[in-house]
Amino acid sequence: MDWTGLSPDEARKLLVNKDKSKRDKRMDLARAVATFVRDGDNIGIAGFVNSRQPVAAVHEIIRQAKKDLTLSFHSAGLAVEYLAGAMALEESSCTIKRLEFAYWGIELFGISPMLRYLAENGKVELEDWSNFNMSARFKAAAMGLPFMPCRSPLGSDVMKANRAKLMDCPFTGTPVVLVPACHPNVALIHVQEADMYGNCRIEGPLFTCPEISMAAGYTIVTCERIIDHEEMVRDPNRINIPFFAVDAVVEVPFGAYPGNCHSWYYFDEIHIREFRSAGEAFRKGHKDSLRSYYNRYIWGVRDTDGFIEQIPYRQLKHIQQIELREFQLMRSQN
Amino acid sequence: MPNYNFSPQEMIVVAGARVLENNKVVFAGTGLPMVAITLAQLTHAPGIIPVFEAGAVGPTLNRGLPLSVGCSRTTSKAMYLQGLNAAFELAQRGFCDFGFIGGAEIDMYGNLNSTMIGQFPEAYRRPQLRLPGSGGASDMAASCERTIVIMSHEKRRFKERLSYRTSPGYLDGSPDARQRAGLLGQGPYRVITSRAILGFDEATRRMKLLATMPGETVASVQEHTGFELLVDDNVYPYEPPTQEELRLIREEIDPRGYFIGRKG
Repeated sequence: MDWTGLSPDEARKLLVNKDKSKRDKRMDLARAVATFVRDGDNIGIAGFVNSRQPVAAVHEIIRQAKKDLTLSFHSAGLAVEYLAGAMALEESSCTIKRLEFAYWGIELFGISPMLRYLAENGKVELEDWSNFNMSARFKAAAMGLPFMPCRSPLGSDVMKANRAKLMDCPFTGTPVVLVPACHPNVALIHVQEADMYGNCRIEGPLFTCPEISMAAGYTIVTCERIIDHEEMVRDPNRINIPFFAVDAVVEVPFGAYPGNCHSWYYFDEIHIREFRSAGEAFRKGHKDSLRSYYNRYIWGVRDTDGFIEQIPYRQLKHIQQIELREFQLMRSQN
Repeated sequence: MPNYNFSPQEMIVVAGARVLENNKVVFAGTGLPMVAITLAQLTHAPGIIPVFEAGAVGPTLNRGLPLSVGCSRTTSKAMYLQGLNAAFELAQRGFCDFGFIGGAEIDMYGNLNSTMIGQFPEAYRRPQLRLPGSGGASDMAASCERTIVIMSHEKRRFKERLSYRTSPGYLDGSPDARQRAGLLGQGPYRVITSRAILGFDEATRRMKLLATMPGETVASVQEHTGFELLVDDNVYPYEPPTQEELRLIREEIDPRGYFIGRKG
């Protein structure tokens, strides 16, 4: 078996030798990425399609021009689209070597121009899975097990091009699929709230964020705000990721923008369409608008503040209000 | 084709809603399935319990139509809110009566492709057209008790042979093919398209025409299908949407027209 991130033994050893103390892990995003992301790493992309995608962390990876990355995720949109766009524009900068995934698309906004560009030009290694397969792979890793039995994707071609194994269950004698653990070298996770030690409180669906944080060798958490530790531990049941599964805590307001961050801001449809159409134009051979997008919003700025500063206030206000108000109120206003 | 006062998407959504039974648990993907579930909840099936793979179970969807199964609007008054593992485990355990899925291509046994167009496995890493991938569709196809498939009805999508089988239907159609493969659910129950309602023959597992949508005939549906359809003895013309169904879709459920195309 080729382990594309850490093998189960390597993952165990890394964790056993790690300092697990409750200590201040706050740092800026540039330092977090420089410290924990290396060329050739397998990166676990948390979030789900365009919701709580680690956009800010990905922009920083692009600015630091990390290379030969393997990306592991179930369903992703914006984060991977940004990485691929950088690679498409400048292969000397950021590069993706391999994808282990179930879905890459922009959902309602359309299929992904960048996945089409990379796949149809043979620029990346592909390994398709189902969503459950990928979440089960992270869960197996989080449980310290080398694999997880699963019903899907029995009967599917998905199994013919990945490393899943079919076996007869030793107890019932019926077929089951075994999916191998996925231990990314580093996980990128955006949450609403964290404390300085790395305890995280997630609003809305958890996706597979807790499992990914525990599966990975290192975890970079970006959050909308850092809250006081005393406030965090007032409700221990609401801590979704424990501090010792986190290595860096970075406060990045709008860190999942232009995607959705539950309770904070909804999708910015205007900006997502702007980015996606630049990618689609690129795929059809018109490269200028994607290049100017990256120059303006990613390469030409120092950090996420520099990106968000360029978004019209009314757009930001609108996506925040969608989260704050009942839909009926929104509609009566429009 | 006569000029109807509804779009093909509206017809699909109405049919999707009508096929759902009250008090069932329905695992749904992004888009038309969400509109169909909401319509069913507002009409004959207020007790439907939606499950979204990103983690939300049993929300009321009164904050507006979700634009994604992972978005904020899926959580309003949800009765269980975890993540992907929990949602798929529910399906695998047998909690989910229906799964609502789609694909780019379908074959006569209800197998679906949402991964790639081109030669597989030879051109897997350089396909002619790369599609988004399985997402949760193959998981729903494997583990929900019955699946309802929503398709755009075109000859190039209803194929004799798929480029790639992403989501299992009745596999090769042989008796007990799903059980032998280790799949739990019964398999595809209905295929709802802009032209027809289709089911599957009990003995051969082949796709069978049950009803034709307004403006279609048995012959016109067959003409837009790339394999030979069985035709039910009692094939009938499907009832068009009622004014109330259209009003609910246009005014209550999807007023911005995100998923429902408007007649120009």
